[in-house]
Amino acid sequence: MSEKVFVLGGEQTDFQRNWTKEGKTFMSMMREVLDDALEKVGISYDEIKRLNKENRVAVFVGNFDAEQYANQGHLGAFLTEVNPALFGVPGARYEAACASGSVALDAAITHIRAEDYDLAIVLGVEVMKTVSSSVGGDFLGTAAYYDKEAKGVQFPFPKLFGKLADVILERYELKEERFMDALAEISRINYANAKRNPKAQTRTWFMNKEHAMARGGDNNMAVGGRLCITDCSQVTDGAAVTILASKDYTKAYAKKTGRKFDDIPRIKGWGHRVAPITFEAKKLESVGDKYILPWTRQTVKDAYKRADLDVKNIDVFETHDCFTSSEYAAISAFGISEPGKEHIAIEDGTIDFGGKKPINPSGGLIGVGHPVGASGVRMMLDLYKQVTNTAGDYQVKGAKNGLMLNIGGSATTNFVFILGK
Amino acid sequence: MREIKTVTILGANGAMGSGSAGVIAAFGGAKVHMLARDVEKAKQGIEAAVASVKTDTIRARMIPGSYDADLEKAVAESDWVFELVAESYEVKEPINTRIAKARRPGTIVSTVSSGLSIGRLAKAYDEDGQKHYYGTHFFNPPYKMILCELVTHSGNDKKVTQALGEYLDKVLGRAVVYTNDTPAFAGNRIGFQLMNEVAHFAEKYADKGGIALLDEIMSGYTGRAMGPLATADFVGLDVHKAIVDNIYDNTKDEAHETFKLPGYFQKLIDAGKLGMKSGGGLTKVVKHADGKREKFVYNIKTGEYDPYPKFDIPFIKEARQKIKESDYKGAMDVVKKASGFEADIARYFISRYISYSLSLVGEVVDTKENTDGAMGFGFNWVPASAFVDFLGGPKETIKLMEASKIPVPKLLKDAKDGKKFYELGEKLDARSLFKG
Repeated sequence: MSEKVFVLGGEQTDFQRNWTKEGKTFMSMMREVLDDALEKVGISYDEIKRLNKENRVAVFVGNFDAEQYANQGHLGAFLTEVNPALFGVPGARYEAACASGSVALDAAITHIRAEDYDLAIVLGVEVMKTVSSSVGGDFLGTAAYYDKEAKGVQFPFPKLFGKLADVILERYELKEERFMDALAEISRINYANAKRNPKAQTRTWFMNKEHAMARGGDNNMAVGGRLCITDCSQVTDGAAVTILASKDYTKAYAKKTGRKFDDIPRIKGWGHRVAPITFEAKKLESVGDKYILPWTRQTVKDAYKRADLDVKNIDVFETHDCFTSSEYAAISAFGISEPGKEHIAIEDGTIDFGGKKPINPSGGLIGVGHPVGASGVRMMLDLYKQVTNTAGDYQVKGAKNGLMLNIGGSATTNFVFILGK
Repeated sequence: MREIKTVTILGANGAMGSGSAGVIAAFGGAKVHMLARDVEKAKQGIEAAVASVKTDTIRARMIPGSYDADLEKAVAESDWVFELVAESYEVKEPINTRIAKARRPGTIVSTVSSGLSIGRLAKAYDEDGQKHYYGTHFFNPPYKMILCELVTHSGNDKKVTQALGEYLDKVLGRAVVYTNDTPAFAGNRIGFQLMNEVAHFAEKYADKGGIALLDEIMSGYTGRAMGPLATADFVGLDVHKAIVDNIYDNTKDEAHETFKLPGYFQKLIDAGKLGMKSGGGLTKVVKHADGKREKFVYNIKTGEYDPYPKFDIPFIKEARQKIKESDYKGAMDVVKKASGFEADIARYFISRYISYSLSLVGEVVDTKENTDGAMGFGFNWVPASAFVDFLGGPKETIKLMEASKIPVPKLLKDAKDGKKFYELGEKLDARSLFKG
């Protein structure tokens, strides 16, 4: 596995942009990000044409809900609008709610592992500022069991992850104050990290621990039980591309571009598990288990096993902090702490930017922003930057192996990838 | 980096004062003395500051006070005194005299002035005071508009300037642009040159569509969210006049004549029609009985307001469509090749904007990245250097300038083709400033 699929790089859009206000669309976003990614990686459209003649290149588009946000489906075919060099290139759209980017990555990895293609372009895209936040909240409800969990509920997802916070508190018998303080610290870290990331949605927003702790009132409203605005990631418009390649292609690419083959990272492991779709079913299933999200933990374990690595080998994590409670639960799922003791890893600085196991140096979904279908691809791009020492101001010193966790729904679809050299 | 724990804000109840105070109290975590003419006004400023940065956590460290009762005590315990009172020497100088007497050695004092001479204002201070006196030109609203022109004068100390710049950048999150003490500094000098010359062209083409036509020609596809004349109407014609008069009176460059205020601007100002803030100026919006709003535009010939017209200019439509699809170079090719007087005007102003921006390097700023930052972060206009790239590089841009009889700045003549001319790309994606 670890000698089969390589990552050549990629690019993301500035997640602060509002494309509707600019008078642009998801299509213009796809064009910009793909042009930028190819330029950055050093692959031309002529090269794609060449590969396509032999049916050695394909595109994989991660997208959650263009039908509702942009009144457009069939996005896999839309790359032909981006550039005529993509006429004839196999392409399809992949959907798994907020893990749409990962399911696209998974398909690309699988095809390269099977030696079907030499080059795979994975593009995650979501345009979300086309509608108001309440309408968008309802659209996002389709990532849960809509009829049972979202129909008629304003902002269903903060409420579902608010329930996760409730269960964490109850099961582990935590002191509420200490737990809420830990969640606020997660928020603080992600916003602080995003300040170093020039593509982050929140890089100019104000946030500190004091504000994250000041829950309630007009300036930090409660949106889901215990969770307030500062506990939430916010949706945005955005796209990200990562370009994957086979071993032979990577060798030739390294030679052509003057890079060292050994410096190009490879996919070392992956995990993919689906938990029961409703949060209630998840809760019931996990009674008696050490982990509240056992399938998330299992996905991480699967990836470690396939990579023949463990938490001690991972230098940097990108996790799905759609809410502070989801990042909290991920800490033990990664094996950084025992379940129920996540707050200690937060309090002692383990997951902070300069800590032993930094999580989300990019800012994560809370800091970078959450364009749903693009988030998984963006995480992979950030792992690439970290392990190739190209993350600029948010570089984790000496990072060799990185792990990402991308989830769809209320931790329903779980995807983990490990990237390293 | 300089440690700034206590700040005094003078003019705490104004939009700029409260907005800046909010940023300083929130991002800087500083204790802020909020001074206004009376304590009630200062308290209103605190509430406005809280609302601007949307955090209740700053309220407790903002202390209301009045100039009469609290200025000396507040200044004496401050690391930075930020003065945001009215834009005139007559108002600022007496206040500076009081600050100068009360400040401790080492305390930074700055003004938000958008045009007055920083060197002249600094004269109220002793040598240490002059060393620590700056222009910190924030833009409105400060939380959203992150530009800060840090204006230096000959009495400053480079080390202090560097430390203050780092504080503004790293702690307060400002996009810091260093400018010399010249009239209107960088952003307004460039921005108001374009706005005022466009206003003259509106008069020249009054029969063909005037104000509305010129804003259409200079609309989003030329790299700005709002037309130049809509911007003048938004900031207020009185403010526009103050800025261009100051530049006209105190500079002598190739664009000197373009800073003369057009006669119809003065006419509107005399009639109290100052723009959106007074209910009408170059345009006005009328709310009908059925609740519908209708926009009107001032007819320069008749002095009446006409319904705001719609235009159908094929090359603009085509360029806009290209921008909509993120084909920026394609859009500029359309502009380069189009025929008709509207296209000539578009090419003239694109050339003028690039030429004038780059010509100020050396006088107003030291590097083009500073003018690029001023226009990108302060006006949300595509920076001049980025425009050069979208037009196809220096050679192509020079061709355009020569055809429009616009002087070619040395910086562009010396530039190499085939290399990116815009160097702020990692901080500011210029593509986001074009509107389709």
